[in-house]
This record gives sequence, C-alpha cells and structure tokens, in this order.
Amino acid sequence: MAEAALRGLGSRQRSRRLFAAGMILVGGLGIVAAAAPWLTAYDPDAIVVPHYAGPLPPGGAHPLGTDTLGRDVWARLAYGARTSLFVGGLAMTLSLGIGVTVGLVGGYFGGAVDTALMWLVDLVLTMPTLLLLIVLATVLPPSLLTIPLVIGVVGWTTFARTVRGEVLSLRERDYLLAARALGASHARIIVRHLLPGVLPGVVVLAALGMSGAIGIDAGLSYLGLGVPLPTPSWGRMVSEVQTYFAVAPWLVVLPGVAVSLAVIGFNLVGYGLIDLLGERRG
Amino acid sequence: MAAYLARRVLRALTTLLGTTLILFILVRVVPADPAVSIAGPKADPDTLAAIRKDLGLDDPLAMQYGRYLWRLAHGDLGRSYLTGRRVAEVIGERLRATSLLGLASLTVGFCLGMLIGIVTAARRGSAADVGVLIATLVGLSIPTFWLGNVLIYFFGYRLRWLPLGGYGTLRHLVLPAATLAIVELFFYARFVHTNVGGTLASDYIRTARAKGVPPLRLYFLHALRNALIPVVTLLGLDVAALMSGVTLTETVFNWPGLGRLAVQAVFSLDIPLLAGTVLFSAALVLVANLVVDLLYGVIDPRVTYG
Repeated sequence: MAEAALRGLGSRQRSRRLFAAGMILVGGLGIVAAAAPWLTAYDPDAIVVPHYAGPLPPGGAHPLGTDTLGRDVWARLAYGARTSLFVGGLAMTLSLGIGVTVGLVGGYFGGAVDTALMWLVDLVLTMPTLLLLIVLATVLPPSLLTIPLVIGVVGWTTFARTVRGEVLSLRERDYLLAARALGASHARIIVRHLLPGVLPGVVVLAALGMSGAIGIDAGLSYLGLGVPLPTPSWGRMVSEVQTYFAVAPWLVVLPGVAVSLAVIGFNLVGYGLIDLLGERRG
Repeated sequence: MAAYLARRVLRALTTLLGTTLILFILVRVVPADPAVSIAGPKADPDTLAAIRKDLGLDDPLAMQYGRYLWRLAHGDLGRSYLTGRRVAEVIGERLRATSLLGLASLTVGFCLGMLIGIVTAARRGSAADVGVLIATLVGLSIPTFWLGNVLIYFFGYRLRWLPLGGYGTLRHLVLPAATLAIVELFFYARFVHTNVGGTLASDYIRTARAKGVPPLRLYFLHALRNALIPVVTLLGLDVAALMSGVTLTETVFNWPGLGRLAVQAVFSLDIPLLAGTVLFSAALVLVANLVVDLLYGVIDPRVTYG
C-alpha cells in the first residue's frame, strides 16, 4: 500500500535530497547500533537508580530519563537499535532470498511453473498478514530467531512479484537469446544473465523490506510477541510503559519516535533509489 | 463478460481452498491438544477420549480435512473451544464494531484525502507538493499503536475531551477512528495528488483546455475520472483490510472488533475461532478484488474483459 502513495518523490534534485536524508537517518541508526556500548555507560537491562522513586524525567546522568523499573532509557533505545536492525535485516534477507528465487524461476520458465508460483503468491497475499504472523509466532518455540524468520517467511510476496515483472521484460532481450543459442543451461542463464539485471531493483526492495520488517516487528513486540526478554525492543518499550503515559509521557514517546525515524529512513532510501535508478536508466 | 466472471470466481475459490488447507495444516501443527483446550488441564482421560471421539480427532487427516470442507460448504465454521458458541455467530457480533470503526475512519480519511489530493494536484512542485509528500511519509511510517497512545494521552488524559478507550457511544469511536483516518488521509492525499497531477499533465487535457472546456468540468469530468481507476483498486483492498479488523488499533483502544477477537483466539489457542476469522478475512479480500475488477469496466468503458 505504501508503495502506491510514496512512489515518485518529485524532481531530480528533490529525490537526491530525500535520498541523502534517508541515508543520514539509516547511517545514524547503524552508528548507534554499532557503538551502543560506547554511547552509554549503562547496561540496558540493569536497574541504575540507587533508590527507586518512579521513573526519572530526562536530564542529568540519564539524558532520556529512566523507565518504570529504573533502567536507563537511552541505553535501552541504543541497544534496541541493534534488535531492530537484527530483526529487520534477517527478515529482509530471508524475504528477499525467497522472493527473488520465486520471481526469477517463475518469470524465466513461465507456463505452469509460473502459474503455480503466482497462485502461491496470491494465496499468501490473501491471508491477513498480521494474523498469520501472530499465529506462527505463537506456534513456534520462542527464540531470538523466531520473529525474524516468521516475518521473512510471510513477507516475500511483493518481492517475488516485482522481480518476476522485471524478468518478464529481460527475458525478451537479445543477449538472453544469444545465451540460449550458445547452449547455456537454465541455471546459468538465471544466475549469470538474469540475476545481474534485477539486482538494482533488489537493492530498492531490500531498503523497503527493512522499513516494512522494522515496522512489523514493532507491532508484534507491542502485542507481546517480539524477541524474548530481556532483549530490549522498541515495540515492547511502548507496551511496557503505556499505563504510565500520564506520569511519564517520554517513556512512550521516545521509542515510537525511534521506530518512526528508522522506518522513514529506510523508506526514503528505497523510494529515493527508485527515482535515482530510473533517472539513470531513462 | 460471463466467461471472465466465471474464471475469476473459480480462481478466487481455488485460492480460498488453498487458505483452508494452510489453516488445516497450521491447526495440526499447534502443539495444544484441542480436547485439553475444551475440558481443561485437569480433565480425566475418559472425558478427553470422549471429546476426541466427538470431534473426530482420531480419524485419518484426509477425512478430517474433508469433513472440515463439508461443514464450511454448509456455512458451518465450527464452535469456539472456550465458549462453545458458534464461530459464525461470534464473528457476526464483532463485525458490527469492526465495520463501524472501519467505515468511520475510511469515510473521513478517504474524503479528506481526496480533497487535499485534488486541491494540491493543480499546484505541482509547490510547497503543498512537498508538504503532502512529507506528511504521507511520516503518516505511513509511524507505528499506529504508538499514534493511538499519543492521541489517548492528549485528547483523553490531558484535555479530557474523550474516553481513553472502550466501546459504546459515538465519543468512544472518535479516537480509534482518528488514529486510522490520519494514516488513510495522507495515503489517499498523496496517491490522488500524484495520479490527478499526472493526468492533468497529459495531452488530452491540454487539448480540452485549448478547446475552452470550463475548468471545473475539465477537472471533474475529464481528469478525475481517469485518475480514479488506481484509487478504486486501493480503496477496495483497503475496505477488505479494515473489515477484517485492525488488530493493533483495536488492541490499543480496547475496541471489541474482529482484530482483537483473532488475537484473543490465538493467545487462548481457540483454534476454530482463529481459523474462522482468518478464513473470513481471506474471503473478504477475494471478494474485494473481484468487485474492484468489475468496477474498472464501469469507470473506464475501454476496459474489456477478455
């Protein structure tokens, strides 16, 4: 759905600017995640207040305050960036792997193989995504890998469709006919001749996949289905403290801002790339 | 036309059949014993055996699947393990709350979004253009559960204008509907903006303008009609998505709709209830797709059904 509304950012200059803004957000997120231990002196799971007297407001030794258990909020946010990138990255890689394979195979072979694969895509698209995710997350044993795997396994359909579309247009090119005439095997044609053709599009899909997976992970964590405790996760930070909204609004606001910035960043990179790549080709 | 319709319906039915198969497999994978779900963990073995026999859980899997399909074909979605009530009945009850929320948010979001999109479309490249883009980006990126909480804080807690959550009066509807409508609004605004803007730049509009077609007529009869086709597609899918329940928003506001019903069913391992809601929303999506396809022909007479 987001795809339809955000495609085409505008003029060349504006696309570049927005893409740059996205790269800054994503880069910042990456730096925070990588440098978390150096950016905060506190353990994200440790109780850091000597005498608990409710959550501390931002300021002083705790730049973003402390939460309802007396833990440092900035430390939890910074380490939460790791969780988000890990879950998003793994889910996106898996979705991309399945989606690109299905798209390449379906688009290249066509016929009954294509029909069967696209029926499968339709089937998964018809199921309510969030419910399917919740069911799988409940049924499978909880571990750090469960959530990224589940998001990845459910989220590949749009990737498959996009890649298939690109393959359908590449398939008719002369160089492919030449490869076939030279007697190249199907596997060779797909890997050596079709895959490089769809790669620029795949980079775009990867960025959009990250934004989607991070948003979904936040939603699942909010429902209590995220990565297992005590790993800090932004979605759960909201659900843990929402009853304290009246006394400590920053506890709810901050993790939501973090999720939003991450999703906006990856969206800008993805949609910016669509424009910049299209401009280079056109 | 009839052949086209028949083919589409057939395809929708095979997809639905696939959904039932996936559901059946998922249900079999769930480690919980349905008999224990019904009778409780302290039930004696005889009771459990009787329940199993009653549900036909000892029969071969193919037979169980066949029986499941047979019942579905007769409109029987089974009974909830926990309450023993008919699943179809429970879904029907929850559908009222869900459709109220869905229709309210969609009406506000779609109408306002269309309006903003149309008004800003004529001014491409202006500040309004950037404004709509940024707002859409933010609207589609912020988590709805978080937006809901922020709205509760301001309008429920600080200003005390509206209740914090729950269901019953019109006042209860405002905040959850607003949460959804905010996202919808920017989404449609940007989409209509881009589409109408693109149409306005096309040759036939220039020709019409040169011929002296009055601006309003040009706008609504010539441009809008052509720009509407993609909007209708999204609207159809959107209606289906909203009708099958918006899990996160319903959870935030304690709204007794289908989305929350499904989540409760998962957490209490109430399999028939869960399978019923999933199947219901899958069917909705398929129907919406079908309706959208047929609407194309109404909006754009050039579309032929081959």
